[in-house]
Amino acid sequence: MSRLLRIRSARIALTVLALIAFLALFGERIAPYDPLQQHPDVLAGPSLNYLMGTDYVGRDVFSRLLAGTRLSVIGALEAVTVGLLIGVPAGLASVWMGRVGEWIALRLTDTLMILPFTVFAIAVAGTLGNGLHQAMIAVGLLTSPAFFRISRAVALGLRSAQYVEAAELMGASRWWVLRRHIWSKVLPNVAVAGAQTMGSALLVVASLAFLGLGIIPPTPTWGGMLSADLGFLDRQPWAPLFPGLMLVLTVGSLNVLADCIREASSGRVQRRGLTRLTKPQPVLTPEPVLEKETR
Amino acid sequence: MPGTLPLSRRDLLRAGLGAGTLFALAACGSGSGSGPAAGGSGVITWAWQLPTSWDPITSSAGSDVQMLALAYDALTALDPSGKAIGWLAEKWEYNDEGTAVTFTLQPDLKFSDGTALNADAVARSLNRARTAKGSLVAPQLADVQEVTAEGELDVLITLTETNFQYPLLLAGKTGMVVNPGVFEKDASVLATTAAGSGPFTLTSYTENDHAELRKNPQFHLADEILVEEFRLYPAPDAATAVASAASGQYNVVRIGAANIDAAQAAGLEVQVLDSMFVAVLDVNTTKAPFDNPAVVQALKFGIDREKIRQVAKFGVGDVNYQPFPKGYVGYAEDLGEVYAYDPAKARQILADAGLSGGVKGTFSVTAPPHPATEQIQAQLKEIGIDLSIETIPGSEWTQIVYLEHAKALGYDGFAGRESPVQAFQVLFSETGLMNPARNRDPELDAQIAKVRATPVDDPSYPEVLQEATRIAVTNFPNVFLYNEPFIIARQKSVTELPQSPSLRRFEGISAG
Repeated sequence: MSRLLRIRSARIALTVLALIAFLALFGERIAPYDPLQQHPDVLAGPSLNYLMGTDYVGRDVFSRLLAGTRLSVIGALEAVTVGLLIGVPAGLASVWMGRVGEWIALRLTDTLMILPFTVFAIAVAGTLGNGLHQAMIAVGLLTSPAFFRISRAVALGLRSAQYVEAAELMGASRWWVLRRHIWSKVLPNVAVAGAQTMGSALLVVASLAFLGLGIIPPTPTWGGMLSADLGFLDRQPWAPLFPGLMLVLTVGSLNVLADCIREASSGRVQRRGLTRLTKPQPVLTPEPVLEKETR
Repeated sequence: MPGTLPLSRRDLLRAGLGAGTLFALAACGSGSGSGPAAGGSGVITWAWQLPTSWDPITSSAGSDVQMLALAYDALTALDPSGKAIGWLAEKWEYNDEGTAVTFTLQPDLKFSDGTALNADAVARSLNRARTAKGSLVAPQLADVQEVTAEGELDVLITLTETNFQYPLLLAGKTGMVVNPGVFEKDASVLATTAAGSGPFTLTSYTENDHAELRKNPQFHLADEILVEEFRLYPAPDAATAVASAASGQYNVVRIGAANIDAAQAAGLEVQVLDSMFVAVLDVNTTKAPFDNPAVVQALKFGIDREKIRQVAKFGVGDVNYQPFPKGYVGYAEDLGEVYAYDPAKARQILADAGLSGGVKGTFSVTAPPHPATEQIQAQLKEIGIDLSIETIPGSEWTQIVYLEHAKALGYDGFAGRESPVQAFQVLFSETGLMNPARNRDPELDAQIAKVRATPVDDPSYPEVLQEATRIAVTNFPNVFLYNEPFIIARQKSVTELPQSPSLRRFEGISAG
């Protein structure tokens, strides 16, 4: 963490994300108006009364933007959590589960990787009902291969490390080895993937809301606001900028953070700060090895 | 590097950009792809709607009649005031009891394939409409005993009871004449091909994409059709409707009230045409919380229709509490503002029914939700009816809401019908598509029987019909909201469309 905080862009990204997290927690409370309240001023421009104007039924856009942060972020978090919970344990276990189990896990992962996020989420929402949780479980399931492959790659490399073999020869259990030697090496890589996936998931949540899936009006979400604004572009051409900007800021910050975690974990950050080594270093420590080398 | 082309990255980029530009130009210039070609001379390219079927008897949307009328002719038509006038039939005559009506066809009528459209063809077409399996117009013809051809031009419809509504009824889908030579061979083809005698012939149809029609030289008013081609597309997204017309992608588009200013600013002609369309809440009284009559009553008084008209409809259209537009013969003037917005009364109704704590329910709407639905939800919440909006894809609406009757409350619209009795049948009869609870009211049935038994030119007809409207509006749960006109934006090259509350007609319309 200290290495991460030495990178200026990481500090900026974390500040933005902290602000987004604050809005997710307290946005509705600090909003100047009830985000569902319909005022007489319809499609009003930005003013002192309505900082970002009002929407097509007279709701304060600024209040909806603040209140919409929670569901947008929660949806993405839900998807990432599902992906992590499925992908990481399966990825670690696949290294020790034998050839048949390994083969099945890899083919399942391959299958999930070819499914397109949005189409799959629409199909699941169509089957299980149109709700945020259903859609996010679907998205989470599709993000799990990323976590699976990353955690598996790290574990594969570490499994043949001498200190791991030594620990096993001395009678250490798999669980102990996993906890003591593997997990600490997997975690930074999973954090990188988590931050990147969070950004992607946020866009998927927004896309689904844009398509009218997942979150139903009048509940505010960034994607839903974008979608609704498009119908009134000729009257309020600036309106999509506000939710769009929130998405750009959040997804951009998550991507920058992911880069910085990768950088910090690879030890490329100089002590005093801002300079990075020019030659890229491998992310994984130690180097991942090919599967056939482990057998 | 040996074996590689001597291309720098910059060369490669140039080549890529060049190829991309060529692709884009080719795509823009193609007129034969699935995309629409720019509207040229004598071509109407209208982003409007595609019918659910090109077969008039299996089409499941009332608004399909507009598209079907491009390819089919009905026996009669409606004048701007809603009265029946001759079309394929030049005249008709009832017997004294009103139990038989003879339609006399114009001479020398032909289907688009050149075969004769005579009394025999009409009789076979009508008999198919009333007896074919899966016919959605059969309930309208339930009182037909038989249809027979009397000579070359006379079609005799014998009824089981008095019904003077047939000249009106046969002005719509029910009276559209389908070529028997086609449906007797293979009726299934009619879902995607048309076999009529209308102003245009369907030459190409790609489901959910577009339809191409060409002027039908056999049409009985062919001299009045001034465009050679009619290309029909689904309505574009509201955000792109005006741009698509301004750019020439289409030369006529249907737009919403929100786009009127933008269309005018873009140099398009905007026409607000009369329509019989009325927005309505379909209430299923077999499902909670609307199985409680007090909730239904509160619903009627709890909606501020004028505010919705001002906000969601940008002030276009008229607030309405009944299924017919003002000025129509069935419009009961004395109903006035029978369910004028009165939130205090709505709350009192709920309180009197022991529901002062409020009720919860689900409000089904097509995706994406119309702004009006969010206003209705907020207004009803104020009086204690807390509804969650649930979206249903438009393509599944009829199945889920009207055939499975699976939803408690839905936001929809009634496109109107040529005959008021037909409208009552759809909205208020046990077999009516838009009667999700299959409610039945003997008082209304008796009054509708009187309407049928009254000649439409009888002085008492308006009062008899309006009494039926009063009964329906007060006894049935449907919540009528407002009439919506039909708004189009057209390029100046397309001439003005005539006002007509029912069908859009294209006689005398030129393009380019």
